[in-house]
Amino acid sequence: MSENLKVAYWPGCVSRGFTPELHGSMALVAERLGIELVELDRANCCGAGVIAEHNQELADTLNARTFALAQQTGLSMMNICSTCQGAQSECQQRLDADSAYRAHVNEALSGQGLSYEKGKDGFTNKNFLWLLVEDYGLDKLAALVQRPLSGLRVGPFYGCYVVRPKHRLGYDEHPERDLYLEKVIETLGGEVVEYDGARKCCGFPVITMNRETSLRQAGTHVGDALDAGADCLVTPCPLCHLNLDMQQPEAAKVVNRDLGLAVLHLPQLVGLALGYEPKQLGMGKHIASTGPVEERLAGVAA
Amino acid sequence: MPSHDVLVIGAGLAGQRAALAAAEQGVSVGIVSKVHPVRSHSNAAQGGINAALNPGDSWESHAYDTVKGSDYLGDQDAIEIMCREAPEEILHLEHLGVTFHRNEEGKLGTRAFGGASAARTYYVADITGQAIMHVLYEQLMKHSGAVARYEEWFCTALALDEAGECCGVVTRNVADGSMELFEAKSVILACGGNGQVWKPTTNALICTGDGIAMAYRAGAKLMDMEMIQYHPTTLAGKGFLITEGARGEGAHLLNAKGERFMERYAPNKMELASRDVVSRAEQTEINEGRGFPDGTVALDVTVVPKKRVHEALREIVLVGRDFAGVDITREPIHIKPGNHYTMGGIKTDVDGRTDIPGLYAAGETACVSVHGGNRLGANSLLDTLIFGRRSGVDAAARAKRGEGSRPSKAVLEAEGATIDAILSRGKGSGRRISEIKLELGQAMDRHVAVFREEAGIQEALETVRRLKEEAKTAYVDDHGRVFNQDVLAAIELGYMLDNAECTCVAALERKESRGAQYRTDFPERNDEEWLKHIDLQLADGGPEISYSEVTITQWEPEERKY
Amino acid sequence: MATYTLKVRRYQPESGEGPYWEEFDVDLDPSLSVLDGILQAKDRDDGSLAVRCSCRAAICGSCGVKVNGSSTLACKTQLGEAHEAANRRQAGDDAAPPRGADELPPPGSAAGSPANPIVVEPMGNMPVIKDLIVDMESTHWAKIRRVTPWLLPHGQPPEREYVVEPESMIDITQSMACIQCGACVSSCLSMEADPDFIGPAALAKAYRFVGDPRDAETVERLHDLADDPHGIYDCTHCFSCIDACPKGVAPMDQIMRLRRRAEENEIADPNNGHSHMAAFTSIIEKKGTLDEALLLQESYAPGVKGKLKPTKGAIKGLLGSIPTAIRGIRTGKMRSLPKLIPGVHHKLPGGAQDEVKAIYRHAEEHGEELNLYIKGEEGDDE
Repeated sequence: MSENLKVAYWPGCVSRGFTPELHGSMALVAERLGIELVELDRANCCGAGVIAEHNQELADTLNARTFALAQQTGLSMMNICSTCQGAQSECQQRLDADSAYRAHVNEALSGQGLSYEKGKDGFTNKNFLWLLVEDYGLDKLAALVQRPLSGLRVGPFYGCYVVRPKHRLGYDEHPERDLYLEKVIETLGGEVVEYDGARKCCGFPVITMNRETSLRQAGTHVGDALDAGADCLVTPCPLCHLNLDMQQPEAAKVVNRDLGLAVLHLPQLVGLALGYEPKQLGMGKHIASTGPVEERLAGVAA
Repeated sequence: MPSHDVLVIGAGLAGQRAALAAAEQGVSVGIVSKVHPVRSHSNAAQGGINAALNPGDSWESHAYDTVKGSDYLGDQDAIEIMCREAPEEILHLEHLGVTFHRNEEGKLGTRAFGGASAARTYYVADITGQAIMHVLYEQLMKHSGAVARYEEWFCTALALDEAGECCGVVTRNVADGSMELFEAKSVILACGGNGQVWKPTTNALICTGDGIAMAYRAGAKLMDMEMIQYHPTTLAGKGFLITEGARGEGAHLLNAKGERFMERYAPNKMELASRDVVSRAEQTEINEGRGFPDGTVALDVTVVPKKRVHEALREIVLVGRDFAGVDITREPIHIKPGNHYTMGGIKTDVDGRTDIPGLYAAGETACVSVHGGNRLGANSLLDTLIFGRRSGVDAAARAKRGEGSRPSKAVLEAEGATIDAILSRGKGSGRRISEIKLELGQAMDRHVAVFREEAGIQEALETVRRLKEEAKTAYVDDHGRVFNQDVLAAIELGYMLDNAECTCVAALERKESRGAQYRTDFPERNDEEWLKHIDLQLADGGPEISYSEVTITQWEPEERKY
Repeated sequence: MATYTLKVRRYQPESGEGPYWEEFDVDLDPSLSVLDGILQAKDRDDGSLAVRCSCRAAICGSCGVKVNGSSTLACKTQLGEAHEAANRRQAGDDAAPPRGADELPPPGSAAGSPANPIVVEPMGNMPVIKDLIVDMESTHWAKIRRVTPWLLPHGQPPEREYVVEPESMIDITQSMACIQCGACVSSCLSMEADPDFIGPAALAKAYRFVGDPRDAETVERLHDLADDPHGIYDCTHCFSCIDACPKGVAPMDQIMRLRRRAEENEIADPNNGHSHMAAFTSIIEKKGTLDEALLLQESYAPGVKGKLKPTKGAIKGLLGSIPTAIRGIRTGKMRSLPKLIPGVHHKLPGGAQDEVKAIYRHAEEHGEELNLYIKGEEGDDE
């Protein structure tokens, strides 16, 4: 596919907040993959769908600013969070759909010398999972695997915001986006574990609003994955990671069963296959112990 | 046994309106429906509802258009009532909450429709029927104390007392197969049309002429059964409806040569001539080789401004996309005339009374007649509401007078026996119900459609009579009680065959062309001999013919040109 | 014409046995629908196969089912597309890599690898009565009735029509387009976890009244829906209902609009939904990126008043978060100061935070709500 990919990189808020292991492992992985990340350090939060609930124009403008900052670099954008992807795609759809509205939004940015231009330089915004499959190439990834994840049974957990609603997440053009985690797992040598919750909701959006509803979802999906024989889950969304990993002990109480299933960020899974050590990838920071994963991989030398 | 003053059978627009009107009179009301009320076929009516509400308009103008549209077979006293009461009914609906389209002043706005001399069609995008029906159902939920709902109960026969008055109905609870005899002082049949007799049809699978057949079997008179409307714009194959509203917004009809052929048939109104005229025009183009190989012509919506399509024709954009694979904003869509509506039905007066005391009918099931030989678009929704309301009011008044007696259990036992007989037929006893239904639909579509002639109708009639015999031994797969749809299909087949027989007999009898009945062997309208209704009544196992007068008040019949 | 296999989830209540699978082969054109397939199976093979259906044209809402796990209308789902969706992975081999569209086996191919059947099941979240027929009354309709689904005008109606903004009627046409098919209820993940959730269909219906200027009990309705712990703030924001809805009603969007209207009316709900939204919004205005610790605190105990007089729920919520925080500290997730102390989080660098504030000022002034259902998308040619 392409020679060294270069992207305008939006790391999101949570990867630099409560899931710092994500930010760190993405940097390591990008290096070994040869993807140059131009970090958008002046960019703002995507709103996570919450700001749009309060004021839709506000969310659209905040994300137009991020797109504009990315467009200033002349590069397409990459994010590492399903929620950023979904929230930003929703805003982008509105901005792209109506030139009068776009002009109105750009008015708010004009004072900063910024402007979001629809389709400029073939601008796209893709999360790392989509980028890996569509722009980087699984063949290229396979060639770089140093430690095949043989025998590691991985359950995919996508995060709602990259699988629904299909009509605004590019599924017409890329109908298999809701199978990419499976493809990546297999490319890295791992074994896919299918279970009921793979494309369901982790419950994060209602964790403060209805804790029971939230943790029942997280607990049920982790439980289903365990029952299906998974050694770990992998997810491209740090907010899902918070509810599935950080809240896992609480979720266990709500669903009334023992859990204890490791949850890896996508870059961590890739990083392990590329030869990095679990500690380098910040796996020690997780709440649900990643020990079983490390044991499974212990026999496989890097 | 469940007992109500007024029992309404069918919960589409006419039935729901009748129930609400009766309840307002303070009597006890029950409404029975073989499907959940919001599944009724009223929800498929897309385009709009007519009323002369505009200050510049007049009910007389609306009535004249309707009379002319009916090809002078409509009863003008009924038409006058419908058109005069229309404005108040629209306002009543708006007050209940119907989300009618507005003009810039925030008042009710109209769109153009077929056969109308002024824009008087009120609408909700292209989901008018659905919008009105859902609001009426909201009211039924609100007044659940006043109207008891029997959702998914299937009616199999009317109950008459010794004096021959209607006093109840036999029903089957679909959920558990139990049979029940309902008693009522007044029964209103509002079961919709019979489109499933033809294949293809725009009509839903539930439109099997239940009310018409039950009334016929009870001895009530049917009227104008030959008047079957073929809608000009239906999708080939599946028969799905593309609303007249598209033509109202300016869409063109084109033959395979790209010509706007309506110029030759209706130079003034063009695509907005009345439906029978347009359907015949299309069929002629197809028959004479100027159509497409798939037996269609084209409807071109690309000439309608995209913004307008999005506002007012969204439903047909979806229909085109989902069922024909066509983006109607970019290319023309292939259509042809398809079975759509029955102008005929149970003969009633202007208050919904049939000739059986205690038995009423309203909506498509009934024939008052306001549509005569051809129905104008957006008049059907109006018909259901006006005469639904009037039936409800009159039925309530009759109940208050204390008239009516109790039905005897004999009819319940008889119906139970009929069903047991159906259930006893297993594989090998005869044909499959679906096969008989298919043969019926194809025969009727071939011979009793847009163009008819004696030999063809006769052949259809003979087929119908043979199929009636075969239906007696048709077998079912499902012998259970819970949600046994097989048994219901067997009963519906019987209803359809009765409807078909009546239509064939009436079409044979009327030796002229008027409205939707076009006889190639009698191509002219003949007011001298045929300005009258054909009535049918069950006698000696078949429909017996009689005639009734057309009521003329203001408008003498004239030549009908568009 | 092609042969497709429908794998149908069946259940005969009178048999005393549990649900089971049955396969039917149907011969139909790929552009015809799954409902056409079911009806052919009924006509040809087994008339006892029970399914609700009527119009065949996606307007009556009868034929809600799950096809290949997704809630939808059977009449609107094409056989060809359903076959493709079912066969992205090789038949019977969950470990095999997904196939590209050009590698899919043609339907009914006997030789070579067998094709996956199209899986048809009854809708979810509702009890199954028989085969594909579910009990909608106890779940769907009961919840619809819960939201007082009829117009509540005050006083006598005017002589003619109520005069209203034309846009308002167009706006609620989106909710009015609902055909009560239940696909959204079937797909709702909140309802799966919390069966008492009022649900997408009922809440979309509620918006139809909240957005109707003729209804005079807007505030009462909003209170009713926001004060209910299983109301508008119980939606887990998963988009399943938007994906499932065959008519573009987008129930989740209607729920979010209800939240906005509730916020405009300053309704503070017992679920902290309002304070969560307010906190998130204000944190980004001040800091540009999310301060999770502050968000948590502000969601439960907003502002000075919230901290001086916390509600019972707030105390419970905050105390309940402590074990999680402790675990985070122990594993090293939250070791740096900005993470531990709410409010110490950094702002955006350079003058970027001021740029963000300027955006807030502009947006608060205008607050336009573009609805693509109403407006439509500009074509490429415009």
